[in-house]
Parts: sequence; C-alpha cells; structure tokens
Amino acid sequence: MLVVRRREGESVMIGGEIEVVILEAGPNRVKLGIMAPREVLVFRKELELTREQNRAAATALNVADITGVLNGLKLSTDPPEGDHV
Amino acid sequence: MPECVTRYFAVMEYSEDAVIRLPNGLPGFEQEREFVLIDQPSHRPMVFFQSLRTPHLCFLALPVLSVDRAYRLAVTPDDLAVLQLDLSRQPKIGDEVMCLCFIASGEDRKMSANLLSPIVINIATRVAVQAIQTGCHYSHRHPLTAGEPEAVCS
Repeated sequence: MLVVRRREGESVMIGGEIEVVILEAGPNRVKLGIMAPREVLVFRKELELTREQNRAAATALNVADITGVLNGLKLSTDPPEGDHV
Repeated sequence: MPECVTRYFAVMEYSEDAVIRLPNGLPGFEQEREFVLIDQPSHRPMVFFQSLRTPHLCFLALPVLSVDRAYRLAVTPDDLAVLQLDLSRQPKIGDEVMCLCFIASGEDRKMSANLLSPIVINIATRVAVQAIQTGCHYSHRHPLTAGEPEAVCS
C-alpha cells in the first residue's frame, strides 16, 4: 500500500484523471473531494461489502443446518423485536 | 388474498398490508423492492425475508437484538428520509422500526450475520432500507458460532 501524508487543501492524483482532495481533516474523520471521469464509479467500501454479503446471503442455505447452529447459540428470543406486550 | 411462490414454503398467501417495500432495493439486488416476512415459530428467532418478484430469492435473517443485545443503530439522514422518520435522532428498535440482519455462510461454511448493514423497517409504513451503518465498527461478517466467549468491550 502506498502511504502519502497530506494536509487540508492538498491532493493526490490517481492516474491522469482522478484527483482526491483533502477538504477537511478532523481528529476522527476526513472529508474528501473526489474528481473523476463519469465512467469511474466512486462509492464507499461499505457498499461493496454489503453487496458482496447480500450475494452470499442469497445463495442456497440449508435451513435445517442453520436452525441447528442457531439452537446452539444463546440467541435472545424474548421478545424478538423490542417490548411489545 | 394474493399468493406468492416462496423458496422454502411452496405457495403462501399474504396480505397487501404485510408487504415490505424497499424503494432503493438492496445493494446487489437493486430491482428487488418488495418482500414479505415469513415468521415460523419453529424457526424463531430466525425469519425469512422472501422476495415477491423472485421466488428463489429468500434471505434468512435474525433480529439484530437477538445477535447483539446492545446493538445501536446509526442510520444516515438519507436513509432516515427514505424511512420517513425524524432526521434528528435514531429510531427505536422494536418501537418505531424492526431491525434485521441477513445470515450468510462463508467459504469455510461458517455462518455470520451482517451487522454492518441491517434491514431497517418502518413498522408503521412497512417502508424499509438496508441501512449501511456509519461511524461504527459492526462487522459485515459477525460470526455466529457456538461456544464463543463473550466479547469484551474496552
């Protein structure tokens, strides 16, 4: 991994067409500005992780296996969602 | 009553007011916007999140609170707007919203729950989003394994 130290207002270039600007650098988070050609998709990594995990979750699962595993866990069932009386 | 073909339970009837609508679909399944929740007592707390459009698409899900009793939502303002909820605070699980996480089986056949991106359902309107949590450290593959020691928070 390439590590670059930058300050607010400074940029890095990726290839000739993609520019990432550090707009704000706080103690816990940074605000980035990204300039890229239209055909380059820019999204948060969490979205990609969610997409991959959804695809994995959609593939065949054996319900009996899962129920078996869940029964071995101490999952709380009371009540399943909040405190409906 | 309308009927749908389900993945695990053959043909089932459902009522229109039970349909859960996801205006944005799900990441990876953007065209899937209508689901029903199948809750079978023998499988609790697990529930089945069945697509109305695609019979073979059915996610297995758990209430997040059954996986992590201390689970805290961090829904973005954009997602709160889709849910038509108060933008100034987080909704209450069980009161205003139902919150489910999908179960997946990894290549190692170990099962995990996606706590990073729960399905948040507005109980009053049945509108839902897959709300990718922000500023938290919940895993997209939270292990569901028996006999694991309790996680220690520091």
